[in-house]
Amino acid sequence: MIRLSGVELRRLVARRLTLIGVAGVLLITAIVLVATWNNARPESEDQRRQAQAQYEIAAKDWELHGAEYTKRCLEDYATMPDPKDPVEVYCQTNGPSIDQFLKPRAVFAEVMPEQLLGGSYLLVFAAFLIGASFVGAEFSSGSIGNWLTFEPRRMRVYGSKLLAAAIGMVPVAVVVYAMLLVGTFLIIDQVGITAGTTGKVWGDLTAQAGRGVLVTAVGAALGGVVGLLLRHTAAAIGVAMGYIVLVEGVFGGFLTKLQPWLVKLNFDAWIQHDATYYIDNCQPTSDGGYGCSTITKTLTFEHGAWYLAVVTVVLVALGAFVFSSRDIS
Amino acid sequence: MPRSGEASRGVGMPDLAIRTQALRKTYRTRRGKRVVAVQGLDLEVPVGGVHGFLGPNGSGKTTSIRMLLGLVRADAGTMMVFDQVVPEHLPDVVGRVGAIVESPKFFPTFSGRKNLELLADAIGAPRGRVGEVLEETSLGERGKDKFKTYSLGMKQRLAIAATLLKEPELLIFDEPTNGLDPAGIREIRETMRGLGEQGRTVLVSSHILAEVEQVADTVSIIGHGRLLASGTVAEVIGGSGRTTVKVAIDSPIDSPLGDPAAQREAATRILAAAGLTVRAEGNYLFVDGAEHPADVTRRLAQQELYVSELIPVRADLESVFLELTADEGLGGTR
Repeated sequence: MIRLSGVELRRLVARRLTLIGVAGVLLITAIVLVATWNNARPESEDQRRQAQAQYEIAAKDWELHGAEYTKRCLEDYATMPDPKDPVEVYCQTNGPSIDQFLKPRAVFAEVMPEQLLGGSYLLVFAAFLIGASFVGAEFSSGSIGNWLTFEPRRMRVYGSKLLAAAIGMVPVAVVVYAMLLVGTFLIIDQVGITAGTTGKVWGDLTAQAGRGVLVTAVGAALGGVVGLLLRHTAAAIGVAMGYIVLVEGVFGGFLTKLQPWLVKLNFDAWIQHDATYYIDNCQPTSDGGYGCSTITKTLTFEHGAWYLAVVTVVLVALGAFVFSSRDIS
Repeated sequence: MPRSGEASRGVGMPDLAIRTQALRKTYRTRRGKRVVAVQGLDLEVPVGGVHGFLGPNGSGKTTSIRMLLGLVRADAGTMMVFDQVVPEHLPDVVGRVGAIVESPKFFPTFSGRKNLELLADAIGAPRGRVGEVLEETSLGERGKDKFKTYSLGMKQRLAIAATLLKEPELLIFDEPTNGLDPAGIREIRETMRGLGEQGRTVLVSSHILAEVEQVADTVSIIGHGRLLASGTVAEVIGGSGRTTVKVAIDSPIDSPLGDPAAQREAATRILAAAGLTVRAEGNYLFVDGAEHPADVTRRLAQQELYVSELIPVRADLESVFLELTADEGLGGTR
């Protein structure tokens, strides 16, 4: 199987779609870094003057009406059903400060986790696409039949394809995360705040990137499984896009309580080591009306890890069963 | 019962490259209808030489080959390749078997050489073998070109090159000349013949009778997924009951038997009385069932009817095939 995996790996690397996919990922990563620099750089003198003017208007307004605003906000807060956010979150009791009108300085330790999460979405999508194409094209072209006349042990063939797809994406993920970590650090070191980036922060970020590398490899393998099941790259991508739009977008949006059982939130929990989500809490109010509030909840890392592991095992087992029993025409 | 020119062999006898017994495969169509592709096929392919695997389109040739190669699961029956039960022990013999099933299918954006290198690496064949098989199949100069730019004939040659990577003892070609031009057909035919002469076993499936007749040493004819006949080409043709002699009578015009037409009528009566089947076509009589052509001349001469032409008409595989498939309601004609 090692020899077969090596052959499959060479085939993966030689494929045009793999090269295009990897080039696209690297290009998007570079664009993200440019965007990071653009967002993090301090405002211009003109923007600063405008912020100062806005601040002065707001300060004057607060001076005239601040007490009234606070009183009204506290009254509204009192009528809200429980559970609800603390009053300090809901109502502003102090006057405006100039910082609220200036662009906040980017802090590396705050920016980087989101940056890595975004990179994970990109990498997993690309890995899924490359994996689905890698295996699906063999079925749509019929070359899998030829391959099996050389190696008829289907489980070895199956395993080697998934292993090659997974291993092949590891260096890509490592390079992308390294680009993001190093690039973002250098950018924010120039225009933001990197002080306070302790060894623990680096450790957490490295662990997050490591989990991203692992999930990228799994994404490529699962892309291969879906490509095998559907026997066509386009069908595999269509199913993935359909899931994202219909299940995660529409279904997950309406039935917020089901979010812990959808892939995205579990993915976030795995990458970020816990993920927060929000559910609507609507109930009748004392005055006969109907009030809604949003409750913040946390999905644990362990939940995410178990969820992704079970999904992976089920899909890989399903692919193995189908491939071992399917007639190759 | 299938006609057979071969004595039956015991299971596992080493002189058989392939043996199937009661092989059966059914498919379910998209509408849920069950279609029997192969029903109880007993196939024997001897070691060495070219074996033609004949049958009309849809008779189960490709399905049978796919089952032998482990690509399709049999519903029932047993299959052996080089004395090994397949598909269970296919990994043990796959290194001795090269196969092209229907049209050659490789990775289209890779070069011919790259495709072969991947296959060579997969089976642990030395990389140097790739150049050799490319040269053997006259693809040396086009090896670096992408597979998708190849003509059908070149694709077929690349597929043969791929099978030769293993230096196989058994080669299975499924409809190898489909879509090829006459030059390509001839080339493939010569390749198959050459491989057979090297002592390898070549199983070639086809519905083109003339093609198989020119290269095959032995044949099996199937219809509706069942074996109809098998044996050497001569045996299968001989077993058809169509040993025919074409006869022209040339007695003197003043023969007491009358004019040529009357002489042919008299000859028909004489031969029919001897138990032979006679039919007249123009100035000739076609006589079936004579053990030796000389029997015809002797019987006629005894009645003062003299033969001016006596031509043994060799039944060809096509006529046998058409006869057999007509019997099976497969569209052939008698």
